[in-house]
Order: sequence, then structure tokens, then C-alpha cells
Amino acid sequence: MDYRGDIFYIEQVLEGKINAFSYLVDKHKDKAFNLAFRICGNREEAEEIAQDAFLKAYRALKGFRMKSRFDTWLYRIVYNTAISLIRSRKKGILSVEDFPADAIDFLTFHPNEEEAENEFRNSLVSFALQKMNEEERALISLFYYDEKNVTEISEVTGISKSNIKVKLFRARRKMTEIISKVEKKNTVYNEQAGSV
Amino acid sequence: MNKQDQYEEDILRQYINPERIEKAPEGFTAKTMTRIRIETQSVKVHRRLFRNPVVLVSVIITAVLILAVVFIPANSSESIGMSVLKWAGDPKISFPLLDFKPLPDLGLPGWGIYALIGVLFLAFFDKGLSVIFKKEKN
Repeated sequence: MDYRGDIFYIEQVLEGKINAFSYLVDKHKDKAFNLAFRICGNREEAEEIAQDAFLKAYRALKGFRMKSRFDTWLYRIVYNTAISLIRSRKKGILSVEDFPADAIDFLTFHPNEEEAENEFRNSLVSFALQKMNEEERALISLFYYDEKNVTEISEVTGISKSNIKVKLFRARRKMTEIISKVEKKNTVYNEQAGSV
Repeated sequence: MNKQDQYEEDILRQYINPERIEKAPEGFTAKTMTRIRIETQSVKVHRRLFRNPVVLVSVIITAVLILAVVFIPANSSESIGMSVLKWAGDPKISFPLLDFKPLPDLGLPGWGIYALIGVLFLAFFDKGLSVIFKKEKN
């Protein structure tokens, strides 16, 4: 990531050139949106969260310390915005039985096997994430999608490093269990489909 | 990291591909920048408004009038303002009574209503004139 580039554009914005901020938005929008999406599980809400986060970042840019990374600072804003939103609306947690059967159908009948497998895995990951709480979703997303280490995750979430290690371990174990259960269900489904 | 950790991580890595992130929708940057520009504009207008001496003087006069209404004692019962005045040594703040017979004999709070109606009337009159002159200018 071109970190110097970020500093240059931040300085431009602080000098009053608002358009320079569009460079920062353009560069970080996908990662910010992905983090918001993985936490809230809804594209419309994720867009709102990501936009709010950029707006908050713009307002608080004067207080940004140039020594730290802009993306880590931005992710922290996205994380806090998303967590606040999720906690304000309580949603029921899905059960393994709720995994959409059409996703399994898609895997079974799609002509391109590799593409179908990827799609299936993607929906399985989304499903497994929705079964976890918002903090676990954020940790998994930061660790696997953004490939952040424990120190960086701690900076984003404000949780201590030792606590991150414990929570991350539990989240990964939980996610593995969910995926294994759905995979088992999928195997049974395929066997039944094959025998018909 | 122990073996169990590595095993679990490997399993999840098979499913989670960092390159397969959910991308921001089309026009995300433009929408965000529009929101930022709107906010910047409103902040500028707000700042400009208070830099204008007319607005500043009006705000000060309004504040003084509001304080006067609060502190002028009511005719019979004692208000909070009255007790504050008493505490401050009763400086006997009063406004001169107007010796103008067509107008009713009212104290300041009563006059305030007439003044407010007058100000609103003048504001509408001013707005009307500015619309007319703007049209002519264009």
C-alpha cells in the first residue's frame, strides 16, 4: 500500500483542497466497504456505514497523527460505526438449517464446477459470518480479508492484544464448526441427489 | 501457534480468499464526496454568517432583548428574573413608558408581541422586495 501517497493527499486536504480527499476515498473504499459488509451483512447498510466513516474521517482529519497509518485509523472508524449500528438493531441469529438450499442446488447444477465451488464457498463464508456476533465478524474480516496482524487488529478495535488472540481463536473455531456442519449437510444432500 | 490452530486456519483459508472482497458499489466515491461537499458548504455558510457584522449585531440585540424580557418584573407575581434582580441589588432596570395615546399602555413583555409582529412583517416585506428586484436584475 502506498502509505506516502496517503500522507500527501491528507496534507492537501488539510490545506483546503477537498478534492484530494476523493483519492483517499477511491483508494480505501473497497476495503472499508468490505469490513462494513462483513460486520453488518447487508450491502445497503454497509454503504451507509462506509460513507459515514469517510465523512467522520474527513471531519476528524485535523486530529489524525501522521505517524500512524491512515487505513488503520479509517478501519477503526468503520469498525466503531458498524458496531454502533449493529448494537442499535438486534437481529436474530440464523441456524445451520437456514443455509439456503438454492446455494447447494447452485453447486450441484452449475456447469462450471470451479466457479460454482467458489460461489458456494463465498456464500458459505457469508452465512457463517452471519451466525457469529458483530465483534467476531470484524475480527475474522480483519484477520483474513485485510490480513491484519494481532497488533493492527488491536489498533483498529481498541481491544488488547491478548484479548484479540483469545477472541480470534474462538471466532475461528466457531466459524470452522459452522462451515463443517454445512459441508456435512451438503454431502448428505449430494448423496441423496445422486441416488435419485 | 499450535497444530490445532494451524489446522483450523488452513481450513478457513480454503474458504476465505482475501482477493474476493465485497467491492463498494458504483458511484461510491462520487456520493461520498457529494456528502462531504454539502457538509463543507454548510459549515462555510455558518462561519460566513457570523462574520457578517449585521448578523452579529442582530444576534447581540436579540439576546439583549430576550434577557430584558426575562429580567423585567411582571406586574403582580414575582418571576425568577425578579429574584435574580433582588439578589443583584435591585438596579431598577426599566424602560421608559411611551406617552402616546393611540397605543395601549403596555409593559415590555406586551410590547414584545407587537415588536415581533412588526419584525416579521418587515422581514416578509424585505423578502418580497428582494424577490422583485432580483427578477428585475435578471
